[in-house]
Amino acid sequence: MSILKNLENYLLTEIAAGLGKKTLQPDEDLLELGIIDSLGLMKLISFMEETFAIKILDEDVIPDNFQSLNSMVKLVELQAQN
Amino acid sequence: MDFSLTEDQITFKKSAIEFAEKVLNKGAKEREKNREFNQDGWDKCADFGVQGLSMPEKYGGLGMDIMTCVVTMEALGYACRDSGLLFAINSHIWTCESPIVKFGSDYQKDKYLPGLCNGTLKGGHAMTEPDSGSDAFSMKCKAEKKGDRYIINGTKMFITNAPIADLLLVFAVTDPKKGFAGVSAFIVEKGFPGFSVGKPLELMGLKTSPIGEVVLQDCEVPEENLLGKEGAGGAIFNSEMEWERSCLFATHVGAMAKDLEDCIRHVNERHQFGKPIGKNQGISHKIAEMHVRLELSRLALYKVAWLKSQGKRAPVESAIAKLFVSESYVANCMEALQIHGAYGYSTEMDFERNLRDSIAGKIYSGTSEIQKNIIATLLGL
Repeated sequence: MSILKNLENYLLTEIAAGLGKKTLQPDEDLLELGIIDSLGLMKLISFMEETFAIKILDEDVIPDNFQSLNSMVKLVELQAQN
Repeated sequence: MDFSLTEDQITFKKSAIEFAEKVLNKGAKEREKNREFNQDGWDKCADFGVQGLSMPEKYGGLGMDIMTCVVTMEALGYACRDSGLLFAINSHIWTCESPIVKFGSDYQKDKYLPGLCNGTLKGGHAMTEPDSGSDAFSMKCKAEKKGDRYIINGTKMFITNAPIADLLLVFAVTDPKKGFAGVSAFIVEKGFPGFSVGKPLELMGLKTSPIGEVVLQDCEVPEENLLGKEGAGGAIFNSEMEWERSCLFATHVGAMAKDLEDCIRHVNERHQFGKPIGKNQGISHKIAEMHVRLELSRLALYKVAWLKSQGKRAPVESAIAKLFVSESYVANCMEALQIHGAYGYSTEMDFERNLRDSIAGKIYSGTSEIQKNIIATLLGL
């Protein structure tokens, strides 16, 4: 499964469950839509670190890196290289 | 996991206990009565290295690892009878110094850290507002970029160290559309135009720790005082809280250990109905329960320290530790007071003050209820 699909599935089932969304667009602003809140972000970071075997530094927890599926994919790819 | 202390840590812990007993307790009762901050104690702690414990040596800190910090705070909590001073120092370290080290620019580190480490500067952070406590990110305080500066408007409430602080880490909304991700953090000096502080608030406990209201009215903050990037406020706050929930609460573990020792001595020495009161199961079981709470509190805290020393995240573990230690401290304070009877209730002894001080621990750094929310959410609920 692609990184994007993996993240989308997790967001839809664990973070946005109950919001009634079936899909997420790759560039959809998940912060402005309120899909990710502060506790949801903590869960998401743990999921990303475990699933993709990466380390996300606190300094990288900024809106640019979690705004959309595409921005998260970029972050995962970058951290995986490191 | 290995929680055994090194020889160096044991030695440092002992020296911290000796230091606190010798230097920090004189006049503590009077200061508490007068709600007076212990400036001399602050200075002496800085000389000892407390304010710079975990800070890099480059800035005048001692560069200690987290386990040594926890053990030192435990020692101070054990020996120091001025919880307000320890609370002020911990707020200074974990909510101001520590985020500057982690998120700050070289300019910010060079400008602020040496003074924060040697105690000539006092810091804190300003998050809570009159209408946003547990729901911290629903804050109203706003920061608007105008040219080379930010203009901040808002009111902050229950801000530890505000009346004495030289600088505060102020959290404000820079992008209202993004919710928690639209919050940024700014290093605000007390002399910046538009910054003012109200009178110290009168609280039930922690009376020697100055806590107050902060008003930011068109407060001008140079852009170089933005900490981290715009929108990084949430990450900075969460990072701060993980550290505070481990190191600050180590002082409670130390205080619990001291209370337990005092209680054991008392129940062995105090005779009623022809025998030491500790020979009654009604009392001995209280002592046993106090010991269980103390040991489990210490283990919860050491686990967080161990995880962080491994570079791992500890959001659930730090919430568990904060919740358990703070609730246990209140429970033990209640028992210690009850065991000492009327003497415990008297202001001549420390038990009633400990109880008043302990209750605050269930509220600051996220209430017990918020810790349960964090734990439940991260368990998938």
